[in-house]
Amino acid sequence: MSSQIRASTASAPVRPARPSGLRWTLPALAFVMLFFVVPVAALLLRSITEPAFGLQNYVALLGSSTYLKIFVNTFLVSAVVTVISLTIGFPVAWALAIMPGRLASVIFAILLLSMWTNLLARTYAWMVLLQRTGLINKMLIGMGLIDQPLPLVNNLVGVTIGMTYIMLPFIILPLYGVIRKIDPAILQAAALCGATRWQSLVRVLLPLALPGMAAGALMVFVMSLGYFVTPALLGGTANMMLAELIAQFVQSLVNWGMGGAAALLLLVVTLALYAVQLRFAGDQRLGDR
Amino acid sequence: MTEPFLQIQGIRKAYGPVVAVENVDLQVRRGEFLTFLGPSGSGKSTTLYILAGFEDPTAGNILLDGRSLLSIPSHKRNIGMVFQRYTLFPHLSVGENIAFPLKVRRLPKAEVDAKVKEMLRLVRLEGFEDRRPAQMSGGQQQRVALARALAYDPPLLLMDEPLSALDKKLREEIQYEIRRIHQQTEVTILYVTHDQEEALRLSDRIAVFSKGIIDQIGTGPELYSNPQTRFVAEFIGDSDFLPCKVLSASDGHATISLGDGRALDRIPLHGFASAGGKAALMLRPERLRLARISGENAGIAATVSDITFLGNNIHVSTTTDDGALVSVRLPFGHEAIAGLNRGDRVQLTFDAGSAHVFC
Repeated sequence: MSSQIRASTASAPVRPARPSGLRWTLPALAFVMLFFVVPVAALLLRSITEPAFGLQNYVALLGSSTYLKIFVNTFLVSAVVTVISLTIGFPVAWALAIMPGRLASVIFAILLLSMWTNLLARTYAWMVLLQRTGLINKMLIGMGLIDQPLPLVNNLVGVTIGMTYIMLPFIILPLYGVIRKIDPAILQAAALCGATRWQSLVRVLLPLALPGMAAGALMVFVMSLGYFVTPALLGGTANMMLAELIAQFVQSLVNWGMGGAAALLLLVVTLALYAVQLRFAGDQRLGDR
Repeated sequence: MTEPFLQIQGIRKAYGPVVAVENVDLQVRRGEFLTFLGPSGSGKSTTLYILAGFEDPTAGNILLDGRSLLSIPSHKRNIGMVFQRYTLFPHLSVGENIAFPLKVRRLPKAEVDAKVKEMLRLVRLEGFEDRRPAQMSGGQQQRVALARALAYDPPLLLMDEPLSALDKKLREEIQYEIRRIHQQTEVTILYVTHDQEEALRLSDRIAVFSKGIIDQIGTGPELYSNPQTRFVAEFIGDSDFLPCKVLSASDGHATISLGDGRALDRIPLHGFASAGGKAALMLRPERLRLARISGENAGIAATVSDITFLGNNIHVSTTTDDGALVSVRLPFGHEAIAGLNRGDRVQLTFDAGSAHVFC
C-alpha cells in the first residue's frame, strides 16, 4: 500500500518547499530557554561548583552505599512498575480496541477521570486502602487467606502498587492506538493458517503492537524514575527514591551541589533511554518500509 | 454415487431479525472451481465466512469429506483463504509469511524451506523471499497471500474478492495466474466476486446469490443461455426487458403478446404464469436481428436512437413503439448497419429459443 502511495507522490509534481514555521515557534523557544534550560543549567553547574569546583559531589553520590541503595530502589521500582503496567495494560488496550465503541468510551471516561483526579487525593486513597486496618487487609483476613495484616504501605510494595495504578493510562493509551490500527483480518488469516490463539498472540499481535509497547514502556519508566509524590507518601522515609533524595538535598539540607549532581545523573539516564528508543523506533521504520 | 467433497446443507444465518443467508444448499466436487457471484449484501461473503469458521450459521450443516466442520475452530479446519484486504503479516518477510502456517504446525526447518521455495515458484515470485510486504505491489502481495494459503496443502481454498483492490489489467493477469495454479494444484476453490466477467473467466460452475439465497447454480453457458430468474438474466450477460402478457403456458413454454397485439409462440418460461398475467420478455442484444422496415413488419417495430462503435462490434440503441429501450449488438461490418442512421425505423426479430419470459 505504501508503495502505491510512494509511486503516486513520485509521479506528482515536486511539492513546493514548506514555508519555515521557525519564527512562530520563537516565543515558545524563548520561554523554554529562559525558564527551563537556564535554571536547569544553573542547577547542574552548581553540582560541579559547590562547595568547590570539582566532581566531589558525584564522588560522594556514587561512593555512598546509602545513595547507591536509593538508585537501586528507583530503578527497581520503575522497572517493576513498567513490567506490571505492560502486563495489565496490554489486555485492557486489546479489549478496548475490539469492544463496541460505546462501551469503550465509558471505559475511556473512567481512565481519564482517574487521570484527572488530584494526584494527592488518589495517593492518600491508596494509603487508606493499603494500611494495616485498610480495606484490602480486612478483606484478606475476612476471607481467611491471611492471619496477620500484610505490610502493604511504607515500603516499596506500596510504592509499586500506587505507581502502577497511576502509570496504567500512560501505557494503555499508546497501546490502544497501535492495536486499533491492526486489521482484524490479519488475525483471521493467522487463524486459518493454523495458528492457535496463543500463537496468534505471540507471533502476530505482540510483534505488531511492539512499537506501542516500547513507547508506553519508555514513557512509564522515565516518569517513574523521577516520580515524587507517590513514593514519598506510600514509601515512607526508609524507602527513598531519587526524586525524594533531590528534594531532601535542596529543601532540608540546602545542599544545591549534591541535589544538582543527583538531578544530572537522572537526566543522563533518561536521555540515554530516549536515545535507545529513538534508535529502536528508527529501526522499526526502516523495517516497515 | 460417490459422496460430494463439500456439502453445504441448508445454511441459514440471521443477525437478529436480519437474514443474511437463507437456506443455502450446495455440493462441490473435489478439484472444482466454484464461484459465488452476486452484488454486495447478497450473502456470498457470509457463506464463505461460515466455511472459514469466522461466523457460526444459525441453522444448517457443512460437511467436508463427510465430516461436519461446524464444531471445528478455524485454526484446525486446515482451509486456505485469500482475503479481500491485504493480510500479509507486515512484520515478516515474504518467505516468513509463507513459512508461517508451516512453522505453527512445527514442521522441520528443511521441509519448511523447501515448501517456501516451491510456493514462490508456484506464484512466480522467486527471489522475493526477503522482501517486506510493504515493499511489494498489491498484485504481488495477493500472490504471496495465495502462496501462504496453499503452503500447507489445504484441500479447500477460499478466496474472498481477492482482486477487487487491483486495477483491471492487473486483475486479468492474476485471474490467469489463479486459473493456472488451480489446474496445477487441483485444489478445490470457492471464490467470491461481484464481477461477472471474473466469474465466467475462472469458474467451472457459478452460484448466483441474490438477497441471501442462491438463485441458480450452473456453468457459465448454462446461466447465460438458460437463466432461471430475471436476476440471473440481468447479472450474467447483457439483457433488455419488454413488458408482455402471457396468453397461454404449457410445458415450460409460453405464448405471449407484446403491446402491438402480435403473439409470439414457444418462448421458454420461468416463474408461475397465469393466463392474461403480466410478464417480462428478456432479449439479449447479441441474439437480436435488425433490419430496416420495408413493407410487412415481421418483428418488433423500433426507432434507432443511437449507434455506438465499440471496436469489434457495433451497439445500436433502439426505442420500441411502446417506449421500451432495446439494444442490439452486431459485429463490425454487418450488412444491416450499412447506411443506418439515427431515427431510422427498424424491425427486431429473434429466435424463440433465445428469448425468455419471466413472471
